Amino acid sequence: MFQETIREAGLNPYLFEFANIRDQNSWVHQHNPEAATRKAKDLVRMAVAKASLLEPIEPLQIEVNPNALVIGGGVAGMSAALNLADQGFKTFLVEREGQLGGHALHIKETWNSENVGSFLEEYKNQVQAHKNIEVLIGSEITDISGFVGNFTTFVKTGDMEREIQHGAVILATGGKAFEPDEYLYGQSERVSKWHEIDDLFEKEPEKLAQTQGVAFIQCVGSREPDRPYCSKVCCTASVKSAILLKEKKPDLRVYILYRDLRTFGLREALYQKARSLGVIFIRYTVDEKPIVQKNGDHGLLITVMDHILQRPIQIPIDYLNLATAIIPTEGQKQIARMLKVPLNDNGFYLEAHIKLRPVDFSTDGVFVCGLAHYPKPIEESIAQAQAAAGRAAGLLVQKTIDIEPIVSMVDEEKCIGCGLCESSCSFGAIRLKKVEGKGFRAENYSALCKGCGVCAAACPQRAIDMKHFREQQIRAAIHAGGTA
Amino acid sequence: MNDSFKPKILAFLCNWCSYAGADLAGVSRIQYPPSIRVVRTMCSGRVDPLFVIEALKDGFDGVFIGGCHLGDCHYQDGNVYTLKRMDMLAQLLDISGIGRNRMHLRWASAAEAQTFADYITEVTEVITTMGPFDKTRYSLQLAALERGLTSPRLRWLVGIDRQVTERENVYHEKTDPEQFKKVLQNAMETEYQKALIYELLNQGPVTVKEMSEKSGLPVYTISLRLNDLERGGLAALSGCEGRTPKFVSAAA
Repeated sequence: MFQETIREAGLNPYLFEFANIRDQNSWVHQHNPEAATRKAKDLVRMAVAKASLLEPIEPLQIEVNPNALVIGGGVAGMSAALNLADQGFKTFLVEREGQLGGHALHIKETWNSENVGSFLEEYKNQVQAHKNIEVLIGSEITDISGFVGNFTTFVKTGDMEREIQHGAVILATGGKAFEPDEYLYGQSERVSKWHEIDDLFEKEPEKLAQTQGVAFIQCVGSREPDRPYCSKVCCTASVKSAILLKEKKPDLRVYILYRDLRTFGLREALYQKARSLGVIFIRYTVDEKPIVQKNGDHGLLITVMDHILQRPIQIPIDYLNLATAIIPTEGQKQIARMLKVPLNDNGFYLEAHIKLRPVDFSTDGVFVCGLAHYPKPIEESIAQAQAAAGRAAGLLVQKTIDIEPIVSMVDEEKCIGCGLCESSCSFGAIRLKKVEGKGFRAENYSALCKGCGVCAAACPQRAIDMKHFREQQIRAAIHAGGTA
Repeated sequence: MNDSFKPKILAFLCNWCSYAGADLAGVSRIQYPPSIRVVRTMCSGRVDPLFVIEALKDGFDGVFIGGCHLGDCHYQDGNVYTLKRMDMLAQLLDISGIGRNRMHLRWASAAEAQTFADYITEVTEVITTMGPFDKTRYSLQLAALERGLTSPRLRWLVGIDRQVTERENVYHEKTDPEQFKKVLQNAMETEYQKALIYELLNQGPVTVKEMSEKSGLPVYTISLRLNDLERGGLAALSGCEGRTPKFVSAAA
């Protein structure tokens, strides 16, 4: 408000300092008028001391390239790309594999029996036909540099490398299923994971005819010290698979061994259906996990403590399907490092704020959606992708953006290129660059700088200062307040 | 204790949490002692430990630093750096004999008006009990602290803590936090001792025994640190008193 007044008066708004003698003085020391007056005088002296050293600061304006880059061509990536393209933004969609679709390619139906295959075909066609989307499949990101509104990305397709300029990035790099080394996974062909059991019986229906018993084990690799989180969709997936099996072969023995059954929300109906079809649910605890052994050549034997009988039981089965944890893909770490965005303890991307900025990163211009953020069902991926596209569009629609100019400044003469500033900055706003003959020096990326000052207080050489909160200004205020 | 002593405390308040909390205390008319003089920074992470020493040199009896709760920093994790730096400063203040209770770090959000007022009341009481800070008596220690906190070695170590213990070093190794703590502690002691000796050397030619008496450090420790300073070009022999060498500071 005061800055506005000053601006209207024709003065640079940063030539303003506030002496808080009301809210932080007269209102809080009502029984101490003399002391409060002394304090007020000191506060005014301190403000004057700082104000006498203030400098005018021009606002930083940067241009915004209206193109978007979406990394990952699964359902989330395609949704984001379509949303942005429909709004008129030229969007590059980069996919590592030889085709679009991601994990949805392995899924036949959603929990609600919606056909995923036909949905995917439709989606892929839309994406590939869209005049605003350029799809690069079989392509990898080799480098991303720049900052919000001004990114430069190199994409490699086979032998060719291509440079793309864009203003925003959406990360939709997906996830994958954890490969466990327990329950004979990898040691027996009868043990599979996730949708592999559905695929098996689809390809070889005669095998189902010969099968007497199928078991599912939930929480494999999940909710344990290495991966303390729940992967959200696996209970639903297993219950759905179990229902399909029972519907195909009603006298098949189907068991689901679970720790907690999380068929949340409306998916409860699936659980009830599975129960009514005769699927047997056995609850195990993490300190008494089921034991899986080979049962001769023709099956497996599971030993598990039944939670109702309170006695161990043995279940002979033909096939075992594991619901393993959903984990981030390998490429995630590299992309995170290139873009300087953080990962959480579980390796998934860490958003700026879980409630207030759920698809943003602290680093401006980068957004996230889909499995890369956390395990989620397909409809949630689509919703989140649209949120990310919405956020990106809000940025890309502007020709220029204003940056608050209370940024850091490096004195390259004093800097020795130690890199502590780069290590301390959560926003990628100060980084080392190679300087001919000198090694490295720190460089300000002012567009990303939030003005916190952590780098300035960190620098071993005292080579960094903050605009509007300069060391000399702070010292002058301290001096004025102390020696008063 | 002087009953009429009213301390003057410099308070660094971060813009988004503690400063806003103080404003809310005002709006709510919550009363607290009139001891603090506020310097606003955008983040508590802006506060260089050297500013605290500056405050003590300039006549303040104590320093208060207010920041956001861990995990709530407006700049993600600026306050984590504040915590690490003030932990180091507290230990250095103890080593110097000034005592860590001249500096207080507290977290208070923009909504915690009463908490803020309570902290100010509490800290004011602590510093009132300690009595006025005698900057003349501690001028040598303050100079040594300033020198020590300016040293690239301490600034580097306290700053690189998170990188090497939480992430990795350039060899992709992670350092055990307990081990790092010991390294930092050792560095603090030796850098402070070197700084103290340098300040003594600055006052004119002095013998090792004299330095030991003035600093309270054992002769062997003085010897070791003096050796470091000599190798760094900061100390030099300046002649002998009989058979006892005397040393002075040298320009690096």
